[in-house]
Amino acid sequence: MVKYNAMTQEWLDAWKQKIANSKEYREIAKNWEGSVSMIVNPDPEKGIPEPIYLFTDYWHGDVRDFLICDKAKAESANFVMSADFARWKQVAKKEVDSTKALMQGKLKLKGDLTYVVRNIKTVNKVIDLLCEIETIWPDEA
Amino acid sequence: MANGYAGRFLHVDLTNGRCSPFTVEDALLRKFIGGSSLGAKLFLDGYRLDADPLAPESPLMVMTGPMVGSGFPGTSRFAVCAKSPLTGIWGESACGGNFGPELKRAGYDGIVITGRAEKPVVLSIVEGEAKLTDASGLWGKDVYETADLLKEADKGAKTLVIGPAGENLVRFAAIGNDKGHFVGRTGLGAVVGAKRLKAISVRGSGKLTRADETRFRELQKAAIEEIKDSALAGSLHAMGSDANMDIGMINGDVPVKNWSVGEDFELSSALSGPTLSETYLTRAHACANCPVACKRVVKVPDGPFQTEEGPGPEYETCGTFGTMIMNRNLAGVIKANELCNRLGMDTISCGAAIAWAMELFEKGTLTLKETDDLDLSWGNMESVLALLPRIARREGFGDLLAQGSLAAARKIGGDAVDAVVHVKGLDLPMHDPRGFHGMGLAYMMSNRGACHLQHAVLATEQGMASWPQLFPMKDDYKGTTSEGKAELVFHSENYGILGNSLSICHYLTDCLKPETIRDAFNAITGFGLDFDGLMACGARDWTLKRGINNLLGVTEKDDVLPKRIMTPLKEGAGAGSVPDVEKLKREYYALRGLDKRGFPREEKLRELGLDDLRERLYR
Repeated sequence: MVKYNAMTQEWLDAWKQKIANSKEYREIAKNWEGSVSMIVNPDPEKGIPEPIYLFTDYWHGDVRDFLICDKAKAESANFVMSADFARWKQVAKKEVDSTKALMQGKLKLKGDLTYVVRNIKTVNKVIDLLCEIETIWPDEA
Repeated sequence: MANGYAGRFLHVDLTNGRCSPFTVEDALLRKFIGGSSLGAKLFLDGYRLDADPLAPESPLMVMTGPMVGSGFPGTSRFAVCAKSPLTGIWGESACGGNFGPELKRAGYDGIVITGRAEKPVVLSIVEGEAKLTDASGLWGKDVYETADLLKEADKGAKTLVIGPAGENLVRFAAIGNDKGHFVGRTGLGAVVGAKRLKAISVRGSGKLTRADETRFRELQKAAIEEIKDSALAGSLHAMGSDANMDIGMINGDVPVKNWSVGEDFELSSALSGPTLSETYLTRAHACANCPVACKRVVKVPDGPFQTEEGPGPEYETCGTFGTMIMNRNLAGVIKANELCNRLGMDTISCGAAIAWAMELFEKGTLTLKETDDLDLSWGNMESVLALLPRIARREGFGDLLAQGSLAAARKIGGDAVDAVVHVKGLDLPMHDPRGFHGMGLAYMMSNRGACHLQHAVLATEQGMASWPQLFPMKDDYKGTTSEGKAELVFHSENYGILGNSLSICHYLTDCLKPETIRDAFNAITGFGLDFDGLMACGARDWTLKRGINNLLGVTEKDDVLPKRIMTPLKEGAGAGSVPDVEKLKREYYALRGLDKRGFPREEKLRELGLDDLRERLYR
């Protein structure tokens, strides 16, 4: 199985492909509209010297832009999520449930929380598909 | 007098009409702090435990804590305690709103009521002066009408009121604080009704002292910032407690069709917090000094379930009058909630009794003959709304349900008992132990019967809060395992119980750092308790109430989960899973220092400073 370096364009492309290929996702996400950005706070000790900004966009079961971007683009998303690298890694490895991390303040969200709760199955499915990607983490490389 | 306290309590003897202030030693306050913990101590020391809960000599206690009235977020709470007429064991129920702070400002930390009035009365406390007045004109009126009339007579007063259900001794009668907050569980409204006390009205403007005013102000500001930063607080503000409906259905938390079905996403979507916000919500409402404002104010403008603008349903009510009875109509839930509020009934036990009756109706155990021609098919809200006043007034079939689901089932006999989902006589709240085994243990061991609020297990096991600074915690707990849950429940109880003795809202406890709560408590009282000291207070509370229950006949045989919960579900996140009751109980008993009978061991009672209880249990 191909492995991808975490938080790179190739990793994002693989994730996008996984979502696009999922019939289940298409069905669950038919009502979802909007972009989600992920901000990875810097952690030099873990190989993250600068913040990383990831932009993903979803529209009624389809996937649109999945980009490494700059701060301004990330902050323009409908939903902006930020956390330390270690926390993102836990989420992507399914060691921590993203909803729990959000409620405990380990993951920060800017955006309409009601919309997220209404569409929580979509959110969970997107993360489940992320967890399926074979990932090389910078602190493990 | 200790800082944070009003410094005196009020004893009201309704038989002779006497109102007498009394004090409690500071040493006792340091040990039991307040709320239901102090209530339990007063109950053990001063009253006959074996008296019938509805007898004049059985006390009813309305208790606050030292943080109440301080202005610290979430400290509007107060507890009502008595022997429960529903379960026959220790009963308590906490409530938010604004009665607690007003009682403190009126000069009292709590009220102990005994006796029975000859005619219905109202207890009125204004600036420390207590008096009883005739309430014959209010008897029979509902909670909303009574609260309005009392406030017309004394603008600014805060009220505790029973409705027809309390007057008629319905075993799950509630007590309303004004019109939006309810002392719901364990049937304490019936204790008030048995005393012929229609209402308590309080008003006051006294000031409370704090040990360290400057530090308190800093902590108050810090708490507000923590709340602003909390996603849980944001979720509660945006969607109320019903935010749990969507997520809970995915996680296996939400019961469906009297606990017999594992998931139904159409139901949860129709009844969820977002749906409520998008349809009938008119505004959010807050208890005194709470920036979260989780309460819902709703209005159904037209149709068969039309309501005035008023208090909306919590998650629990959307469960009992929604998913549990297969009702997809949110307006119907709102109407049932309004009726229960007006009549003064606990929406959990009332809805659970109706769900139980619907199951028996489907099986043919109950027919139209027994139900007085009410068609109790699943989801029939017209019948539910017709049934609620009959329960409150104890008419016909309503009288059977008014006794509580367990007593009703025992009258019918046979399989009817297996369809009751309770622990120690208290119907389960809307969190399924098959999805979360820790909650199952918490239900088994809670001192008022199946309860989701005598501990913080809901928050810790489901991941809404994490407090590794208090006790060892994993980053994430899997719901459908019993591994590690006894320890989690033990610690979560000791911390969660503090919410009841400090009288601080559980939601705020979940949103705030434990350090902030600890330091604010110490800035108010000057007690200087560290985490170990506070957790010891929690353990003392649990053991004291357990000992009271032991004296009332509770043993390890009562620490069980009902048959329905021990039957695996076929679908949903909890499918195929049931708590490992023996393992959970064995590990938990060791942590709590309980012997094989389920009694606290003598050395544990000594360690916790409960020597009076030790003598009662071992003499």
